[in-house]
Amino acid sequence: MGPQPTVRAPRTLGRRLAYNLLDATEIEATHQATLDVLEHTGVTVRSARILTLLAATDAIVDLERRLVKFPPSMVEAAIAVAPSEYLLAAREPAFDMFLDRSRGYYCLEGGPSDIVDLASGKVRSPTSQDLIDATRLADSLNEISFLWPSVALSDVPPADQAAHQTYLQLANSTKHVVAMTTYNSRDARVVLELGAAVAGSAAALKARPVVSSFVCSISPLTWDGPPLESALEFAAAGVPCGVVCMPVSTAGAPTTLAGHVVIANAELLSGITILQTLYPGTPTYYCPFSAEMDLHSGNMDGAWGPGPVLFNLVMSQLGLRYGLPMSIGTNGTGAKTQDWQAGAQHALTLMGTLACGNVDLIASTGGIDNSRVFSLEQVLLDCELWDIAATLLDGIPFTEEYLAVSVINELGPGQHYLAHKHTRNHMRENWRARFFQSQTWQEWEDLGRPDPRDAARKRAREVITTYVPEPLPDDVDREMRSIIDRYTTAGGSA
Amino acid sequence: MSDALIARLRQAVIDAEPDDALALVRELLAADVAPTLILDGGLAKAMLILGEMWKSGEVFLPEVMAAAAVFTICNEEIEPVLLASADHKVGAKVLLATVKGDMHDLGKNMVAAMLKMAGFDVIDLGTDVSSAAIIEAVIRETPAVVGLSALLTTTMPEQRSVINALVAAGLRDSVKVLVGGAPATQEWADAIGADAYGQHAPDAVRAVKELVGVLD
Repeated sequence: MGPQPTVRAPRTLGRRLAYNLLDATEIEATHQATLDVLEHTGVTVRSARILTLLAATDAIVDLERRLVKFPPSMVEAAIAVAPSEYLLAAREPAFDMFLDRSRGYYCLEGGPSDIVDLASGKVRSPTSQDLIDATRLADSLNEISFLWPSVALSDVPPADQAAHQTYLQLANSTKHVVAMTTYNSRDARVVLELGAAVAGSAAALKARPVVSSFVCSISPLTWDGPPLESALEFAAAGVPCGVVCMPVSTAGAPTTLAGHVVIANAELLSGITILQTLYPGTPTYYCPFSAEMDLHSGNMDGAWGPGPVLFNLVMSQLGLRYGLPMSIGTNGTGAKTQDWQAGAQHALTLMGTLACGNVDLIASTGGIDNSRVFSLEQVLLDCELWDIAATLLDGIPFTEEYLAVSVINELGPGQHYLAHKHTRNHMRENWRARFFQSQTWQEWEDLGRPDPRDAARKRAREVITTYVPEPLPDDVDREMRSIIDRYTTAGGSA
Repeated sequence: MSDALIARLRQAVIDAEPDDALALVRELLAADVAPTLILDGGLAKAMLILGEMWKSGEVFLPEVMAAAAVFTICNEEIEPVLLASADHKVGAKVLLATVKGDMHDLGKNMVAAMLKMAGFDVIDLGTDVSSAAIIEAVIRETPAVVGLSALLTTTMPEQRSVINALVAAGLRDSVKVLVGGAPATQEWADAIGADAYGQHAPDAVRAVKELVGVLD
């Protein structure tokens, strides 16, 4: 196996490439098309409370049909008042993420309902221990800067997922935690309390939000009530809450890429407009996720070809036009194992992501089977690809020392560089593989024809049995456990 | 003449042309063609042909959905006449719902359309449907199959709650239960005591056919 980094420091993406798929006129036309939809069709909001609040604003609210239409001026004002940069803090300040389009941060997968068992290789229902293992593995990896709850917990009632996931992740990692399963106000409040316990107080959490969340629309053009109300809890606490959409083209959005983009943009701008109108200046981000429909079965298409990459390229141009912090999805795969398909799809979508300009948050690593299944090995293999991507963007020194003219002239023709001190001084700066293989055929045969997965599985086992994250202080841990006890005994627990 | 009209009706359904199809149905009814002949030889045959075209990859699900919508419109036109005649037959009844707490209904709607196409009598209870409402509907409608959809990992356990509620109400043996949705699996279906699992809309139709003993 190749080298493991010894220095703990975030491995982030630096200056990105920006491939402008659309020209300025096309971007503007897409923006205007979105405003048209928001003004003339609007979105459904399934919350009487939010509809009432919006009725007192410039929005055109039809309470009976639960429909909200947004005058263009209202949308433009919301974009203008949304903060363009802010902090997502970590328990360990070295892993703070400042969202200002200067760095790209990688995220642990969230939400899968199944996991690949490390011992048997079979898929099974995950438990709390699996989330602990995944969180510790992610905490050990420099490539991962923030955490989604990597698996749904089969040993915890559905209504208590957010509380338990957030606690387990904060307790087993010093990195920023995104509580993506805050589906109602109660979920939001327990997550905010847990965050405040770690930060020291609600005010300290606002200043250094070690947890955040996001809210996701239902395509097309619908906001469910309780999740949107949970976003207001975060906004009221001054804690970041992203706005996410996941339209599946052909089913929940037009089949054309441009139409798919308009639905996604309308959903994101409607969510951002609602948040910024009710809580001006609250930190949020623009987060377009997408998928395509398999034309034959109607399922999500696991082929993840060029479509999602093109979608990301266009959406990132829009997000950057709005000047908002942004998150996009990478690593879509329908593969069932950590195989050629998973590797190729993860590598190609990641390369596409590099061309999306300076996107802040990049999700995610560890998912297979359209993110239905989580795999610890996949996390390690993905991080190898991320490390390559980060290296491509690091830049290359071309100073006198690195041009090495004096060394070349000194050795002259016909010599080699193996023994020169210049080699020893610099060779460890070169990228080296951890999991890509380079043994001889005979060595490979002698080892029993291993593939990179085997090495990744072995490494994952090592990490989860030996790695100890920085624990929470005892009093904080006690406080968090009592918060969970209070919430899970205060009703709502199934 | 009626054969030519029925052939044109089949094509209009396959091409998903609602205006043409409806005009042809009216023309056939006006000419006193038996409603069962219009239904079996025209509409149902069109869906059968389309089903074969879908299997071979010649057409895709959106084309099937569009044709199913035309089928429904035409069927509604024929139904009163058909009910007045003695020899109509009704397909098995299937009740569909997205479970409580879940607003996602795209998958369920696909299943509904494809079941209608396959000749089933579909009752769609919509989204965010409580166990109590499902039990009530099972008592009222006496369906052969109840199909439960969920997209979220947090709402998926509600499928189990509905099955438990059916048991508690003494209804479990009177109805088959099908589950589906992105996070559901065969293992999940087995674990919660469902009778079948549909991987996607066409597979759900396959499962329902098996449950009610209809052969393809």
